[in-house]
Amino acid sequence: MQDFINIGKRIPKMDAEEKVTGKAVYIPDLKVPGMLYGKILYSPHAHARILRIDTSEAERLPGVRAVLTGYNTPPIKFGFYKDNPPLKANKVRSFRDEVAALAAIDPDIAEEAINLIRVEYEILPAIFDPEEAMKEGAPLIHEEHLGGKEKKPTNVLNLPWRLIAGDVDEARKNSAYVAEDRFKVTWVAHCCLGTSGCVAQFDMKSNLTMYSNTQIPSLAQKDYLDALSAMGLQGKKVRVIKAMIGGGFGSKLDTYAYEYIAILLAHKTRKPVKIIFTREEEFFATSPRQPAIIDIAQGCTKDGKMTFRDIRMTLDNGAYTSWGATTPSVMMMPISSLYKVPNVRYVAKCVYTNNTYSQAMRGYGNPQATFAIDSQIDILAEMAGIDPLDFRLRNANTPGEVTPQNFKINTCGLRECIDVVAQRLDWRQNRGRRDGRGFGMASMIHVGGGARVYKSDGCGTIIKIDDFGTVNVITGATDMGQGAETVIAQIVAEEMGVRVEDVVVTHTDTDICPWDVGAHASRTTFVAGNSARGAAKKVKEQLLEVAAKSLGESPENLDIRDRIVFSKNDPEKKSPLGKILRATHYAAGGKMVMAEYFYDPPNENLDKEFKGNLSVTYAYGTHGVEVEVDKETGQVKILKYIAAHDVGRAINPMLLEGQVYGGATMGIGYALTERLILQNGKVMNPNFLDYKMLTAKDVPNIETIEIETDDPSGPFGAKGIGEPGLVPTAPAIANAIYDAVGVRIKELPITPEKVLAALKEKTNLK
Amino acid sequence: MKKFEYLKPHTLDEALILLDQYGGRARLIAGGTDVIVMIKQKEISPDVLISLQEIPDLDRINYNGSLSMGPMVTHRAIEKSEIIRKNFSALTDAVDVLGSVQIRNVATIGGNISTAAPSADTAAPLLALGARVKLKSMKTERTIPIEQFFTGPGETVLQKDDILTEIIIPKPLPNTGSAYWKHQRRGALDLPILGVAVLLSLDKATVTCSDLLCTASPISTVLHSLEGDEVFCKEVRIALGVAAPTPMRAIDAEKLLRSKKISDELLEEVAETAAKEAQPRDSIRGEAWYRRDMIKVLVKRMAMKSIERVLKPEETVFPVRLW
Amino acid sequence: MKQTINFILNGEPVSVEVEPHLTLLQVLRDKLELTGTKEGCGMGECGACTVLLNGKTVNSCIFPALEADGKSVMTIEGLTDGQGHLHPIQKAFIEYGAIQCGFCTPGMVLSAKALLDENTKPTEEEIRHGIAGNLCRCTGYLQIIEAIKAVSGQ
Repeated sequence: MQDFINIGKRIPKMDAEEKVTGKAVYIPDLKVPGMLYGKILYSPHAHARILRIDTSEAERLPGVRAVLTGYNTPPIKFGFYKDNPPLKANKVRSFRDEVAALAAIDPDIAEEAINLIRVEYEILPAIFDPEEAMKEGAPLIHEEHLGGKEKKPTNVLNLPWRLIAGDVDEARKNSAYVAEDRFKVTWVAHCCLGTSGCVAQFDMKSNLTMYSNTQIPSLAQKDYLDALSAMGLQGKKVRVIKAMIGGGFGSKLDTYAYEYIAILLAHKTRKPVKIIFTREEEFFATSPRQPAIIDIAQGCTKDGKMTFRDIRMTLDNGAYTSWGATTPSVMMMPISSLYKVPNVRYVAKCVYTNNTYSQAMRGYGNPQATFAIDSQIDILAEMAGIDPLDFRLRNANTPGEVTPQNFKINTCGLRECIDVVAQRLDWRQNRGRRDGRGFGMASMIHVGGGARVYKSDGCGTIIKIDDFGTVNVITGATDMGQGAETVIAQIVAEEMGVRVEDVVVTHTDTDICPWDVGAHASRTTFVAGNSARGAAKKVKEQLLEVAAKSLGESPENLDIRDRIVFSKNDPEKKSPLGKILRATHYAAGGKMVMAEYFYDPPNENLDKEFKGNLSVTYAYGTHGVEVEVDKETGQVKILKYIAAHDVGRAINPMLLEGQVYGGATMGIGYALTERLILQNGKVMNPNFLDYKMLTAKDVPNIETIEIETDDPSGPFGAKGIGEPGLVPTAPAIANAIYDAVGVRIKELPITPEKVLAALKEKTNLK
Repeated sequence: MKKFEYLKPHTLDEALILLDQYGGRARLIAGGTDVIVMIKQKEISPDVLISLQEIPDLDRINYNGSLSMGPMVTHRAIEKSEIIRKNFSALTDAVDVLGSVQIRNVATIGGNISTAAPSADTAAPLLALGARVKLKSMKTERTIPIEQFFTGPGETVLQKDDILTEIIIPKPLPNTGSAYWKHQRRGALDLPILGVAVLLSLDKATVTCSDLLCTASPISTVLHSLEGDEVFCKEVRIALGVAAPTPMRAIDAEKLLRSKKISDELLEEVAETAAKEAQPRDSIRGEAWYRRDMIKVLVKRMAMKSIERVLKPEETVFPVRLW
Repeated sequence: MKQTINFILNGEPVSVEVEPHLTLLQVLRDKLELTGTKEGCGMGECGACTVLLNGKTVNSCIFPALEADGKSVMTIEGLTDGQGHLHPIQKAFIEYGAIQCGFCTPGMVLSAKALLDENTKPTEEEIRHGIAGNLCRCTGYLQIIEAIKAVSGQ
């Protein structure tokens, strides 16, 4: 292994001091002079026609500066399908529909005024079950939406997700064992501790500055520009300034109605307008993870070689279409490429309902699909009479493989991950006792080398060096707490031969920072890291060139270590970095030492058949768990948790472990306790009391194991690790529960009620 | 948030006068962890809050065999009280898992029962411990058994001008143990799906058991080790939270056990009976069938825990996972 | 009607005029501009707004400001000493990777302080019990627990 100075080190996050002292500024902490406070009125019905809105009383309340409705605002449409106006006119399609909004001089007045708005509705029949919503004659959510070959009104979106590889029907015929099951997963929420918010501000030329906590500054900028166009403000500029983000997890991968409402209010009042969500709003008016109904069949030969995988899926799209509707494209990844399976068929439908609409969330569809796939692997292995460990090893992916979706598997540590998990759990000794204690495992694949979701998967970096040797890295990447700026600083420091503390990373401002498609798909370390490394190489070349002149040495004989440029041949020839920079700046015909680099990974967009090498490399992993099940109460306790991941290389093991711990914890919540409860479209538990996120008392000790496969395409060998930690958690736990007490729970979350009901049913059947 | 006036009387009499003066427009506030939340959630909208914080002595804990607590005793103070842990263990069990340290530092026992949520964690233990509460207005003062205190979800016998001034727990009989189990979905910040409190007094001057009791064992195994001792139940109280519109006693179940020799089969029957007496309902927090089933399981377990505490009084640890 | 409250804030006496319905959190953040204390839920269910009142943790988002009168309040801003030196708990949080998005951090640090002030060598279980009122979505708590162990010399 190479001898690294900054790579592989447990370096604390660069913003940690600011955060631990309370000095870090998040959107709620931000005050702009003259700022007004915006507030939104939501629909009290799941589906209704708006008959009349009377805002006169609210307008008369002293301190109110503007009241807006869908009837007096320009026709902005946003979302993946552009089916969502920030303020709804004519009809509401879900409880979170924004009906009116206002700005006032303080939050109390805003709240008082919002209660003075009178809206009359005519209630319409609503539909909450996606399978019902697909039927002929179901109430239509968007009457104008036409679909299918006949172009008839329908609730089914025109997103025919369909991946076919090989011949599934033939493979099924030739399978010795076939498992067929229906799995269900429900809504869960991101639960960012900081609620959503923004401040919108126009300058005198009607250019917009948006203080935002977006994960996608460059794409949000485009969304806001589209909105300005719709408002008649063509040719105006948008600047997105990102504050500290109080948690992302995918929730800020799209723009939301409240942001457009803030823009509209700011434009109307000519004052900066701030909107901050309450926790209740955060739960019902932001978008959770997609629920799905998953019909899955998998088969294998007599000796446990997988033959096919056949999945039909129905996704509850909710009332509007965000990027969340594209999660099936990511679900295709585990469906086609988790374990070697030659024949694959996947068909998914996204269906409008009057429920809340869903969004991206850590894993982006992958956890849903993997729950079904890897739960059923255990079912299939049992049918075949094979230890699920052996079954997984027999079908494990290997380096050099091309999967049915045309993913080119580069490095692949799956086998090592499975092995180490089995070893740590003492699998062969412990499994299969059915004595209330059980052992389970599940694996995962995720994009580890970017993901070409958009036409570009690129990220830009600019590096300049000041007079004193401080390296300014200006990156397109977004830090939302995961530590992107620290990892980028480590990569740049390593490449340039400086210390991490000599590097300053700027990543917050679209007027300054280069372009990037955003913090998604676990791509930041890989893509922004490669970009930063590319810029660092270029800037180092420039540096050595100017140093060569002053040191009288050829550039190839020079190197930098610890802020000193030195000659590899002559130890006498050396100079501090700052000195060289000053000499370069303060010289006739001086020169600026600065470089930019745009890295767009050589990955492929999925083609019309949804095939293509989506990522440059893939991240595999396996989780193993030991549980104890209380047979009388149905409660599940996790006794041991092992998370093994092929990470390529751990640039910063401490931050990497943080991603795995956090991901696995979120995954344990997904498996056992968390659900956003919707009854007839209404969120019944919009608070931390009834939404059961895990506390410090609930989290088991998680043992992380990093398998370093040193991926040739990654920055210093690294792969992405932001999402993988939660992907295989739920099936690993479900498998362990089965091993403990012999009941198979196919619906998340696995509550004590479900376990107990299944145990009772099992006893009754006996 | 709705605006209100905030008054801080310095004596109980002053508080009673203010309460009388403002009537229904006022609301008492103790720690405020319920009241402020209810105002924020627009469940109540008082014009005036009368705080009891400045009144001296309302946070006293007196013990002389029986226990007397002022209404302003915080859950944290109860959690830290060795006397309560030793003698009235069920109450410690309840406060140990109530909300969070932040909540327990502020929230009071008087507030917890006066809010009268069916899920109030201290209610079932107080019922099991046979507590009485003292209520005072300008005109009257009365002491009633806590059974009579709760009248419905969020409703008590407290009149507009009443203040709950004292909670009294009588001295337990010799050889008494008590335990409370909050059946919850996570380890903190939760409300019970079901709360079960049991108090058992054994009829035997010296109950000895050389075996270390482990509640993971089937009940019969545990009882088997006591067989030679012929353990009789002298007194029993079984109380359930979130099993009916108010915290309730399982009277029929208690009758079955009282004065009987404790056996595995009998405890089974007692628990079944308690489950029949309860009227749990479906809510987003739990389903009725599950609550009823858990009564069957948890009444047994809490009875066992109570016996264990008689036998091993020095180990009154909180009953973490009991299987 | 506005009332004046006097209390010790991070070691210094302060006097503030407040409306009776305000919470301590509102007074700290909006009137005194100490924005280190965060609002995560406004209902006492997440601990992000934790401050120390006479050394004990309270959820300032549901704590009436008027009840702070005559008491001593410590916010995260008061934990660093006058020279800007970090408290050992803060240092440990940094060193052990106990911070990600950072929104829960000020409250978490103060819960850790209250815990360690009371119990200098808490067991892991006691640590978990002590910080169970502070929700964190990023870290899974494990590095936070390690940091607290480290401060207590374990």
